[in-house]
Amino acid sequence: MRNRLVALPVTAVLLLLFLGGTTFAHHGFVSWFDMSRTVTVKGTVTSFDWTNPHSYIYLDVKNEKGAIEKWSAELGAPAMLARAGWRRDILKSGDEITAIGNPAKDGKPTMHLDKIVFANGQELSTAL
Amino acid sequence: MWNRLILSALAVVVAMLALSPVACGRRPAHPGTAPDISGVWLVEKFQPRLFPNGGAPFTPWAETKFKATNPQTDDPNLACLPEGLPRFMIAVPYPMEIFQAPTRVVIIHEGPQAVRQIYMNRQHLKDLDPTYAGDSIGKWEGDTLVVDTIGFNDKTWIDGALPHSEAMHLVERIRRIDHNTLVDDITIEDPIAYTRPLTAQEVYKLKPSWEIQEYVCAENNKYHYQRK
Repeated sequence: MRNRLVALPVTAVLLLLFLGGTTFAHHGFVSWFDMSRTVTVKGTVTSFDWTNPHSYIYLDVKNEKGAIEKWSAELGAPAMLARAGWRRDILKSGDEITAIGNPAKDGKPTMHLDKIVFANGQELSTAL
Repeated sequence: MWNRLILSALAVVVAMLALSPVACGRRPAHPGTAPDISGVWLVEKFQPRLFPNGGAPFTPWAETKFKATNPQTDDPNLACLPEGLPRFMIAVPYPMEIFQAPTRVVIIHEGPQAVRQIYMNRQHLKDLDPTYAGDSIGKWEGDTLVVDTIGFNDKTWIDGALPHSEAMHLVERIRRIDHNTLVDDITIEDPIAYTRPLTAQEVYKLKPSWEIQEYVCAENNKYHYQRK
């Protein structure tokens, strides 16, 4: 799994936050996610929940043994995402994306999403 | 319930605006005494914690309460309960819209889908029943809206971690320092919970092209709330 999960240095995280503007979420996410670390996973979208109070991207991520790990990425509410350029149909099952965000403190395969990178290299951030 | 509350509040706001001098094409009765702070505003910096590195001046009562709670499970907001004040103003990363009328300043917040009313023409009511938002009264001091709030219940947190008692007393000084910037300086007094007043400042930026949107906290809330 290690080759699929890239832990970036703190300086890169700070640079990302500086360049990326403010990321908005709701339910005490600083309690659940380690905002000082960044995790990157590449996988296949299985669903995209465009819901309040948080939207979610669900991903199948292959680990180094070829087994599928079920990842989820938490985003903000649709209203704020729309202001950042997201749309409810911007992702569909089968899309290959890279998800970058803050990992869960408890080590579970979930993150507070900062941005995604599409297969063509186009990036979409949750920041305004 | 919130949708009905919002609709009722909007009806009040519409009625207020319809009767206001601005809606009638007139300037306020005393030009210059009531600066325009209306519009859609968004916090410039989301402040989930006032003391991110610890050091809050707790009384023993508050320290015990603080240590007995876990923000991952005990934050009332996890259950979509109202943020209350001052969290409504400092730690909600969604836009708010301010409406002004001669007797009332009304703030509709997108995130909590809640309404805050600041009464401009009266003193605090007697025998207040404790509530999430308390009782806010305001007055203009030059270019600053000074808001005094009491009458809180103790079911909310000041931010994403700090408890407070029903004795909490807020004084806010809200001013528009330039066209695009609103500042709220908040003093939080609660002698039951803190050995000295706490202070916070929130800066908001104008979002002229934004409208307050729907937000339904309970729709797909995956966070677990451990009610105590």
